[in-house]
This record gives sequence, C-alpha cells and structure tokens, in this order.
Amino acid sequence: MSSTLVIADLHLCPTRPEITACLFDFLNEKKGKHDSLYILGDLFESWVGDDDESAFNLSIASAIHAFSLATPVYFIHGNRDFLVGQRFAKQAGMTLLPENFLTKLYGRSVLFMHGDQLCIDDIDYQKFRKKSRSWWWQKLMLLLPLKKRQKIAENYRLRSKLSQQQKNEDIMDVADREVQRVVFETGCEWLVHGHTHRPNIHQLDNKKQRMVVGDWYEQGSVLELTAERGQLITLPFIKS
Amino acid sequence: MVVLTTNFGEIKIELFHDDAPVTAKNFEDYVKSGFYDGTIFHRVIPGFMVQGGGMAPGMEEKDGNAPIKNEANNGVKNERGTLAMARTMDPHSASSQFFINSTDNSFLNFTSESSQGWGYCVFAKVVEGMDVVDKISAVSTGRYGMHDDVPKEDVIIEKAELIA
Repeated sequence: MSSTLVIADLHLCPTRPEITACLFDFLNEKKGKHDSLYILGDLFESWVGDDDESAFNLSIASAIHAFSLATPVYFIHGNRDFLVGQRFAKQAGMTLLPENFLTKLYGRSVLFMHGDQLCIDDIDYQKFRKKSRSWWWQKLMLLLPLKKRQKIAENYRLRSKLSQQQKNEDIMDVADREVQRVVFETGCEWLVHGHTHRPNIHQLDNKKQRMVVGDWYEQGSVLELTAERGQLITLPFIKS
Repeated sequence: MVVLTTNFGEIKIELFHDDAPVTAKNFEDYVKSGFYDGTIFHRVIPGFMVQGGGMAPGMEEKDGNAPIKNEANNGVKNERGTLAMARTMDPHSASSQFFINSTDNSFLNFTSESSQGWGYCVFAKVVEGMDVVDKISAVSTGRYGMHDDVPKEDVIIEKAELIA
C-alpha cells in the first residue's frame, strides 16, 4: 500500500535523548516502506546555522541521510530551525521545500506547511517571522561568529524558561479565517501542518480536511497519508 | 524587609519601593496575604536563576492576582542576588511568580519598549542568605510532566513574612 509519512515538532536537542532515540527507531523501522517522508519544521529545538557541526547535529544528519537512500525526505522550515540551509539539507539527504508547498498526492491536492503562518493573531510573532525569514536578516545573522549565534540562541532559550505559564505559551492555535483563506486560495483538499502541538484531523467545508501533526514532547507522533485518508499514529518513548 | 523561610534556610530580601513601586507592592501584597506560604521553587537552573512563587508541591499551579505593568524600564539590572518577576511573552503579565538571579543575567535587562526588549523587572535584592540560594541552585533537577528543571526534592517556601 502506498503511503506518505509526515512528522513535525520533534524539537530535537542533546538534553532530550529519548526523542532522538525515538526518531532513530522510527527511521530504521520505516526505511524503504513508504513513498516519502515530510518533515514539517521544528525538527530541531534550535538551529543557529549549518556551520554548527556538532556531533549531535551530524548524528541526526547521518540517520536521516541513511533513511533518504531508500525513501525521499522533504523538509519545510519551522519557527525554530528556519536557518537550516542547503549544506545541512545535503548532509541529511533532504530536499528543502518552500514554506507553502502545494503538491499532488495520490490524486489529491495537498498543501504542506509548518503552520506558524496560520497563527495570524499573534501579531508580535508574525512581525518577527517576517523579519527572520527575510534574506537580509538571515544573511546578517549568519555573518555573526558561530559562538555569538549560539549565545543568542542560549539566551533565547533561557528567557523562554522564565515563563510563568504551565504550557509552552509560544504555541498559539491557528486563526480559522486564515485557514479558510489559504484553503480557498490554494484549492487544496488537505491542509497538512504542525506547529500548534494540537494533533487532530479537522473536517472543513466541501469534504476538505486540515490535518495537524503532533509534537514529540511526550511521545513520537506521525501522520500517515494514503489515497483514502490521513491517520495519526503515536510512538511511545522507550524510558531509559 | 521580607524573610522567606525555606526548608533550605532563610533568605532576607530588601524591596525596591522607589525604583519599582508597583512590583514591590505587588510582591508585598502576596507576602501579606500568605500566598507564598507552602509554595515551591519549581524551576532551578544552576548558573542562571531559581524561580518560584506560583506552584504548590506536585507542580500545582496557584492562581495569582491580576497581572501588573512591567517596570523594567527603571534601569535596575538583573545582577546576582536580585529578584525579578517571571512573566509570559507579554511584557506586562507578571503576577506572583518571581526568580532570584544566581548570576549576572544582563540579557534579561530592559533595552526597549518592545516585546523582545522589555526585559524582566528587578524589584528587590537578597541582603542575607545568598548561600541558601546557592544551595537551592545545587539541587538535582529533572523532568516533571510538561516541566523541565524541576527539583527532585521539594524546595518549599514554608513561610514568607514582612518584618520591620
């Protein structure tokens, strides 16, 4: 049976080895058994540039690369790893896609994206998004020494720790009117995204669907697409 | 002066009523009402800060009062031993949770009146008991549900009192 796998929001980082272990098991098990794998952003908790060739980053590249030899891998940037570039993509055997990728899958029109662009009510974030996705901002950022970029990312991470809320507050939900606009303008049947950490398959008008892939905080989460449907699957973490 | 009696020892705090009047009064009100009694330091990151004032043991969140305005533009710096308010991404959202800087954290200071630049409002400093803060910083931490950096052994504010 033909099927396509979709994952997002793994937030890989060296301090959460159980997530990486779950990804490696997933890649080993699924290798060669599906038509393709889409990674819809936030594969990494943070990404400061492809020149950060830490052993951790290289181990991820090598695992995805091994998988890609049998199954094509596509990558769309998230709000954490928007600085992933061609160099890393090549190391990992991934094809970088534009932020809104409309394609035909099993005869259906499917739109893939990270999903942060749908959260238009978070005005501050959308301003930052616009700036941080611009070529000039990225160029300026990447001109900084690697150590400086790592420091900026570390300070950002620490600041986010000072939140007084229970849940990760930078995760807002999508704005329905933006979903409607995007679905109408692209004419897609299925809109597939991550980012919100609210895995679900929503029914829209005219039998269209919005499929939301889950995050990998407490378990692995995969969306499997076949000609007929999308199905959300969870993968338990192996406790170390 | 405020005294936090914890199961690790006493921390004496001087409030900056002149520099951060709203924030200092807000903290004082929580102390007077007994809100902090029995809460824990629920997030401890060595070399950064210890945070508490909003959770009961078992990571049960307590409902605080209405959020206050951010007075970080008072220019007081997040230096070792100072207390500042925790908050959400919204600069003006602090309620009861605070943290004690265990090192100089200049990247938390006010730089501009934007969501990125507001920083974290310093409203007090530890005048006695930094050794207690350092002991708390050294506890072993782990993951608890959705939370990281949670002490494995509860660090409890048994009592928070206002003294003359």
